[in-house]
Amino acid sequence: MALLDVKDLKTHFFTREGVVRAVDGISFSLEPGRALGIVGESGCGKSVTALSIMGLIPRPPARIVDGSVEFRGRDLTQLSERELEDVRGREIAMIFQDPMTSLNPTLKIKTQITEVLDRHFGYSKDEAKRRAIELLEEVQIPNAAERIDDYPHRFSGGMRQRVMIAIALACDPQLLIADEPTTALDVTVQAEILDLLEELRREHEMALILITHDMGVVAEVADEVAVMYAGQFVEQAPTLELYDRPEHPYTEALLGALPQLEGEDVRRGRLLSIPGRPPDLIAPPEGCRFAPRCPFAHLGDGCAEALPELRRIRPDHYVRSRHPASERQREPAPA
Amino acid sequence: MTLDPRDAVVADAAVPEVVAGAGARAGAPVHRASLWRDAWRRYLQNKGAVVAGAIFVFIVLFCLLYPLVSPHDPDQIELTNAREGPTLEHPLGTDAFGRDMLTRVALAGRISLAIGLGATIAILLFGVVYGSTAGFFGGRLDNIQMRLLDALYGLPYLPFAIILLAIIGTINMWTMMLALSIASWFTAARIVRGQIITLKQNDYVRAAQALGARWYRVLTRHLLPNTLGVLIIAMFLELPGVILGEAFLGFIGLGISPPEASLGSMAEEGRAEYRANPHIMIVPSLAIAVVVLCANFIADGMRDALDPRTRETKEG
Repeated sequence: MALLDVKDLKTHFFTREGVVRAVDGISFSLEPGRALGIVGESGCGKSVTALSIMGLIPRPPARIVDGSVEFRGRDLTQLSERELEDVRGREIAMIFQDPMTSLNPTLKIKTQITEVLDRHFGYSKDEAKRRAIELLEEVQIPNAAERIDDYPHRFSGGMRQRVMIAIALACDPQLLIADEPTTALDVTVQAEILDLLEELRREHEMALILITHDMGVVAEVADEVAVMYAGQFVEQAPTLELYDRPEHPYTEALLGALPQLEGEDVRRGRLLSIPGRPPDLIAPPEGCRFAPRCPFAHLGDGCAEALPELRRIRPDHYVRSRHPASERQREPAPA
Repeated sequence: MTLDPRDAVVADAAVPEVVAGAGARAGAPVHRASLWRDAWRRYLQNKGAVVAGAIFVFIVLFCLLYPLVSPHDPDQIELTNAREGPTLEHPLGTDAFGRDMLTRVALAGRISLAIGLGATIAILLFGVVYGSTAGFFGGRLDNIQMRLLDALYGLPYLPFAIILLAIIGTINMWTMMLALSIASWFTAARIVRGQIITLKQNDYVRAAQALGARWYRVLTRHLLPNTLGVLIIAMFLELPGVILGEAFLGFIGLGISPPEASLGSMAEEGRAEYRANPHIMIVPSLAIAVVVLCANFIADGMRDALDPRTRETKEG
């Protein structure tokens, strides 16, 4: 049985300007211990997807208007706030983008770790402290036993993210949601944090949802990747498959925007960019949402009229496009 | 304010320490430097605030301790010594009944400061409860609370205090505190509400929620402690207003009833004969002025020390 089963999730923001369809019909399932990467550019609804799973979207203005989030057989969207609070941190944990603001500056590291243990397990003070030191050692913080009495401002960004991970791991959750966990960090520190996440995931047999805009980060960690565009998944496939044989024009463009340093067909010259900007989520284009920026959308082929379905193009490989790479007749002239 | 040598050493060492902490080298000795110690170091850089703080502490200690060691009974009437100027025996002279002014001003200061501090704390208490509920729950509740506050904001606070005192009838320290705080907590409530709303956006609040923290824990553990800096500043900003308000009430005869006196009612006693014996009025008036000025300077220094925005420009 899948650990997490999201079906047709729709989260809309009801604002003065209109209804913003931040997440508009997303489905996926995640097996225990597997890692799913969700990639997409800013504002495509990645974070809202994560917050919707946790039930942490700001209400109002946002509301889950449709769909279900089944976690171990329970629909999280139907739970009361109190029941959700027992799930959060205990069974699903989350780490955030900016480690500089994710820790409370007025509380010692110790307090912030033991808080979770106390909340979900009711540990005694000594037990909680011992466990907290173990956790800090597990995320490789030197001098854990001493550092535990420090305030967050004595830690660097990478160290703080380690502390955040320690807090998230405190209750041994089955699912960890990492929302851009490395975006605010230096490149070298990024690699360390990703390695750490990967190691801990294997050790704890924990499922991971990694949200990022960085195709490189996803490649390192995820078993499976979903590409998100304008509130919907446009392509979903096992990681290697997606990188080797991207189907959706958007995925191709994202990969084309990556610098490549080695391999058989190293691209030469400039990196490609995608013309245009992501669509307005209040009034998304009728038809395919990528059509206005798509080099393959021509007049009269239906791209502008009807939204394509997410269809299976190969086993485990899904794409939402009328012109997936493997079905194209001929390449258009390069822009 | 005494300069503790230990604090001075830590304050000097704090700058390189923070840099070392950022590197977080393995095995490096780990020093403690809390937010408050950093704030204290910044406060010490503001000379005016340090002097004002020292004077303020001195005044408080003087008011508390001097009446205990004073050779004169503050209530003993000695008409033969009435209206004396400063002498060795009575450093600030005597009043119209021959009572020692120094002792009396210390006692009056006690009452004025007690009323001032008490009313200020009451103001902050009202403000925190009202403001944090509005800010934390937001939405419709916030809207209703804030519109109500807008309406109350129009209340002029001294006339309101006078009317309230007239309704209650008895005037003592507690009713004075109530009268002075009942119509002046509105600003504090707005400050707290604004702080809570800003702090609510912080990732650590979302992180706490993502870890299953219940709402009251988020509020009391993650939001309110972070408003403490602003509250301390607000306290020293409110204090002068309250002390002045109390002095005003005392001066127009609505203060503490004799034989007890506050600084305001002492000044009022001296007003009748200020031409002949100005010191009877000048002494308590000066005391009021000094306390109010000091509180303002302290508030200023604290804002520099605790407010993150001024902090950046000062340290940059």
